Amino acid sequence: MELTSGARVAVVGGGPSGSLSAYFLLDLARQTGITLQLDLFEPRDFTQTGPPGCNMCGGVISESLMQKMAAEGIVLPKELLLDAIDSYVLHTDSGAATIHPFHAEMRIASIFRGAGPLGAESQHPLPWSSFDQHLLEMARQSGANVLRRRVRHLDRTPEGHPRVFLHPAKGDSSDSTEPFGTYDLLIGCVGLNGSGVRMFEEMRFGYRPPRNDRAWVGELYMGAKEVHRRLGHAMHIFLLDIPGMKFAAMTPKGHYATFIILGHGVNEEVVKRVFQSPRVRSLFPEGWETPVRPCHCQPRINLGPPVNPFADRVVLVGDCATSRLYKDGIGAAYRMAKACAFTAITRGISAQAFREGYWPVCRQMDRDNALGHLLFSMDGIMRYFSPLRRAMITVIREEQSRPQDPRRLSSAMWDTFTGSAPYRQIFQQAFHPVILWRLFVAMLRALVPGQQTDAIVSTTIRE
Amino acid sequence: MLFDSEKPTIGIEYADGETILREGEIGDHLYVILEGRVEVVVDDGGERPFQLAILEKDGFFGEMSLFSDLPRVASVRALGPVRLMTLDKRGLLRWLADDPSLSLRIMLKMVERVRLLVSEVVHLRKLLRDNRLL
Ligand SMILES: Cc1cc2nc3c(=O)[nH]c(=O)nc-3n(C[C@H](O)[C@H](O)[C@H](O)COP(=O)(O)OP(=O)(O)OC[C@H]3O[C@@H](n4cnc5c(N)ncnc54)[C@H](O)[C@@H]3O)c2cc1C
Repeated sequence: MELTSGARVAVVGGGPSGSLSAYFLLDLARQTGITLQLDLFEPRDFTQTGPPGCNMCGGVISESLMQKMAAEGIVLPKELLLDAIDSYVLHTDSGAATIHPFHAEMRIASIFRGAGPLGAESQHPLPWSSFDQHLLEMARQSGANVLRRRVRHLDRTPEGHPRVFLHPAKGDSSDSTEPFGTYDLLIGCVGLNGSGVRMFEEMRFGYRPPRNDRAWVGELYMGAKEVHRRLGHAMHIFLLDIPGMKFAAMTPKGHYATFIILGHGVNEEVVKRVFQSPRVRSLFPEGWETPVRPCHCQPRINLGPPVNPFADRVVLVGDCATSRLYKDGIGAAYRMAKACAFTAITRGISAQAFREGYWPVCRQMDRDNALGHLLFSMDGIMRYFSPLRRAMITVIREEQSRPQDPRRLSSAMWDTFTGSAPYRQIFQQAFHPVILWRLFVAMLRALVPGQQTDAIVSTTIRE
Repeated sequence: MLFDSEKPTIGIEYADGETILREGEIGDHLYVILEGRVEVVVDDGGERPFQLAILEKDGFFGEMSLFSDLPRVASVRALGPVRLMTLDKRGLLRWLADDPSLSLRIMLKMVERVRLLVSEVVHLRKLLRDNRLL
């Protein structure tokens, strides 16, 4: 079962995983002399502001993804980039610490997935453009036929060829039950928000979506001057004693600061408590009690793993299959899109081919996520045992004062939140005997009454 | 616009004429051009360094000593302001192992360069022959 010239491919969903799957598949096909007919279905208009044009995320492009894209010749145009992140500030109830990378190079970018928050449309022309639209254009320029249509239903012919049925186009009142097309390969990139995954479950090849939970994202308007003054070019991470919350983060984006809250069942109450935290409020403009009705959403976050995200002639890519836990979801989509394209071109499009070529890439991330879950489950210990939080800040401060030593804890923190390294590597750094010993000593000291760590400290990590 | 003037850019910037790599050094980074142009020059004993190539946006350099552990064979200088992204050896080798299509792209770029060198050699041999030096 192989892709040969003239083969028809359907990609359902034009978020990062859909556009990149189309782009890499068409690129590799061209290099191997195969001509494909590829239809990409995406109902969203990414040039619109607010929810209709947005795929809802924190909008941070990780260090490793920026580097991989550069090596691949994918250079993001300047107007896509809202800010470049030069450091991370870790806020706990017991103090804060700034972590700088060792190199002087800016490698982390913040972007808007769509045309920006609701209300931004009053600025004309918009001083930025959409990340997802850019990737979609890359796919179009590679030869994808992009259709602004929502897929309604999927099935297979008796010979096993996938068929795609569409919702009627706007203004079309006919109730067509005819399939839009029959394909040789169907790539599902529908993410986790919406009913897209159900269509694949209903194809009955054994696919079950990954575990997932709701998160919270809000775009807080502060004006560029205030954003720069309060946040600098740093991403601010909050590890706070709030049940239901794993961590929160605030990222500068031009006139806005994107606020995300991750946890288990993040609800109104959690959001309210986060915004009432003195640590968080210290970054808000003077006079703000809580942000006033920001453009916000509650997207689903992948907690993995999926069951059987492939069959003969069908494969799922991106969030509806695998991701990286709490970080670099777009980087994960990028990796999977490449692995899917490479498998389809070099091994074929049977379930066997995807099991041997594509699945190991997902499995590797899923296995690493298991370690990530373990790492994040320790936040419970941190939450109920504040001396540990204080010890962490102290150790980072100690690392700063010894520039010649390896800065393992700072490095582990940097990699956890930037997505620069797998959790396996972070584990090795964070659980180094030297770090455990330093944490233990610092914790004993923190237990002595009167010891405070409420200063912002700064440290630089090694590459 | 305020927001644009305060916006830092991605990568690392070099000013016109600045040397990015020096011939003879040991290198452990690959450089990708995000914006601008660079010239690749070698010291051939002449008055001025000999310009081997000009590379532009999306081109890369530094890969030879990255893969061979030998000193850099040429120097690279910025031609006008240039913005680069660097990739360290360990990270790149890990990604190449994970992602065969990235190796393919780097190989294709290197093949392009070998092609250019071959046509350069053919051209030089023709010049030598025409001047009866060969
Ligand atoms: C709170 C939060 C913060 C995050 N922050 C970051 C971050 O800072 N950096 C990062 O790298 N990752 C982040 N992520 C993860 C990132 O958002 C995802 O990993 C990424 O969007 C996955 O891309 P995708 O293409 O698989 O899915 P999506 O981006 O969800 O795209 C799916 C697409 O499919 C389309 N679709 C759905 N159903 C149909 C249908 N029936 N027919 C046609 N099209 C359909 C949708 O319109 C959509 O465009 C975050 C996630 C959450 C929840």
